Amino acid sequence: MTKVKVATDWLAGCAGCHMSLLDIDERIVKLLEAVEFTSSPVTDLKHPPKEGVTVGILEGAICNSHNVEVAKQMRERCQILIAIGDCATFGGIPAMRNMCGTQEALNRAYLEAESVVNGIIPDSPELGKPLDMVTGVGEVVKVDLFIPGCPPRANAFWYALTELLAGRTPVILPRELFTYD
Amino acid sequence: MKIVDITINDQKVSAPSGSTILQAAKQAGIDIPTLCDHPALVPVGACRICVVEVEGQRTLITACTFPINEGMVVQTESPKVIKARKFILDMLFSQRNHYCPFCEMSGDCELQNLGYRYGIDHWVYPTYTTPFPVDATRAYFFMDHNRCVLCGRCERACSDLVANHTLGLRNRGTKSMIHADANVPFGESTCISCGTCLQACPTGALCDKRSAYMGRDIQTEHIKTTCNRCSIGCGMEIVTRGGNVLRIEGDWDATVNAGLLCKNGRFDPLYDERKRVTGPMIRKSGKLQPASWDEALQAVAERIGSANSKEIGVLTSSNPTNEALYLLSKLFCQELKTTNVGLLNPVAPKLFEKSQGSLADITKSDVILVVGADPVKDQPVASFLIKRAVDKGARLIVADGEDNGLTAFAHMSLGMVDIGKAIEIAERAQQPIVLYGAGSTEQTTSALKKLQGKAAFVALELGVNTRAAVSFGFDNGFTPSAARVLYTVIGEQDWNGGDVLTKVDKTTFVIAQASFLSPLTNRADVVLPTAIWSERGGSITNTEGRIQKVNKAVEPKGEAKADWEIISLLAGKLGKKLGASLDEISTLAAQELK
Repeated sequence: MTKVKVATDWLAGCAGCHMSLLDIDERIVKLLEAVEFTSSPVTDLKHPPKEGVTVGILEGAICNSHNVEVAKQMRERCQILIAIGDCATFGGIPAMRNMCGTQEALNRAYLEAESVVNGIIPDSPELGKPLDMVTGVGEVVKVDLFIPGCPPRANAFWYALTELLAGRTPVILPRELFTYD
Repeated sequence: MKIVDITINDQKVSAPSGSTILQAAKQAGIDIPTLCDHPALVPVGACRICVVEVEGQRTLITACTFPINEGMVVQTESPKVIKARKFILDMLFSQRNHYCPFCEMSGDCELQNLGYRYGIDHWVYPTYTTPFPVDATRAYFFMDHNRCVLCGRCERACSDLVANHTLGLRNRGTKSMIHADANVPFGESTCISCGTCLQACPTGALCDKRSAYMGRDIQTEHIKTTCNRCSIGCGMEIVTRGGNVLRIEGDWDATVNAGLLCKNGRFDPLYDERKRVTGPMIRKSGKLQPASWDEALQAVAERIGSANSKEIGVLTSSNPTNEALYLLSKLFCQELKTTNVGLLNPVAPKLFEKSQGSLADITKSDVILVVGADPVKDQPVASFLIKRAVDKGARLIVADGEDNGLTAFAHMSLGMVDIGKAIEIAERAQQPIVLYGAGSTEQTTSALKKLQGKAAFVALELGVNTRAAVSFGFDNGFTPSAARVLYTVIGEQDWNGGDVLTKVDKTTFVIAQASFLSPLTNRADVVLPTAIWSERGGSITNTEGRIQKVNKAVEPKGEAKADWEIISLLAGKLGKKLGASLDEISTLAAQELK
């Protein structure tokens, strides 16, 4: 049996959701019998393969133009897109800056913070441009499954992936695996 | 009562005519989600989450406000209803910062529960970008407007239950805000910090400062008990976690107060900064020295045992439980024949042998006479009930001093001498009630007796368990100078004995059964540490004569013991057997109180 290809990536997140995915512990061995992780931020290959994957997983909020590109590329290259964690689903902690505005947040962080000496707001062309509004992934691409939680519980990942492997879509998370915090 | 038959979710349901769809469904065990509705409040249909489909109705309708009629066919979870509820939730979540992870109420929030129930796993509408203020100007709880869903439960609790009318709603649409008075900070408003709004709030908008982030409801224990801050005896729940008291909540199911509490009952007990007495102490060479229970009780028993009945004095506050007062009376008044006994607070004159009404009569009355009592100060929850009745049109007549807290709400304020006028008005009323206190003069009370049979009468006693203390004969006048051995039971009350300590002879042996250090314990020769409200079991009698249970929520601090237990141990030392277990003593005490 050919393995199902899964690619993951993160946007404006903290990597906590990926850590929680690893918290499925020894079940990952069983999962790898059926699944091939083609790429992820914690492996050498960072980008989902051009030929595409079945499942794409995104952690983190849409915070800058780079996040938008990554999300769009993942959407193009996967059949089923899963947004994981409160940032990817609701905007999460990065969305707190919506309350004061991007410019004020940048000023505070890079110019006004007590520890700053000769501060400068980074504007290298290599960096993504901060957006005015931080949003969940669903604002820029179509998402097939949302798994909220900060982080989502390991069992929620296990449940969603095994349901997909069993051919059941849409996956409806049972109440005990559905959590906002 | 007429019974109406309807169908809900293809199930036959019968409910009394006049019930709402929500009430009928609840009675049949069918769960319709609610948010702005609360059983203690008048429904307003503000949040729309309870919408249901009713055959023949043009639109979805709110189950909390719509009355049932014969043959009605209702669907509570049809696809159309669920779609509407999801839409409503998406709107509610998008309105303000309802992002859960940092909220103290996460896990106990009614909005969050609905999010879970209807699978709100991402935002459909653009999220909040406007920060709303947080008002922490009140001493005990704060309002985070960012978490508010504008359900109006706090506002209705404030006006309909407490009749304080501090809270209101200003502006329109998304700019609507709960505010106090004419938009002043809560801490500077007419708010009386009763905390009823806090208890009614479904989200984390109103939060208790002391217990915030100290545990979700599932991690806590709720122990039902009776408040002992005044003679009303409100039902309350002590919320504990790991043996610590987190907060106090009103018991919605309690007969006397139906969920209401006042600042004195809800917050003050948790902010008590007086120094506790944690172990027995005996005065040796002029100084109080720590001692064992056995030594302390032995010293007390020796002094009492060697004194004759005329040399013994007993002075009690109204703080002890029925059980403690029963044992105190049995031991001293009956066994030791002591007659020099006294109560530390004044008592309302006794008008009748039998009960002539209850606090529940207040809200049914059309004329309320308050005589020689200031419930605003001394029995706040009774004042809520009075103000509620006044809101509904009852006439309030206050016969007391000018500084009475109810004067501002009264239709007529009288001096005690003009009580005749008030009686005339009451005689013409349908259902008058007389609430009288220790400030009533004898003339006034004998005049009031004219209203017997016509009016309900309820004494508003000062103190806590005053009614039981009087029943056990402690209101007998007390002559400090006659006492050679003085046994005082003050419990957790502040020392309010006036000049008793100066009048007591210097050589008098003073025993203080007390929870806190005070001028009394400074003078005492033996101090017996006493458990406080959260640490004792038993019962107390409220001002109506209702005997209500007090339950222990946490262990007594240090070596403190429950008030009844100390007296029981002392009786043992004196060779008197007065009942062994709490249950046995409770039963005996209750028999005598009847």
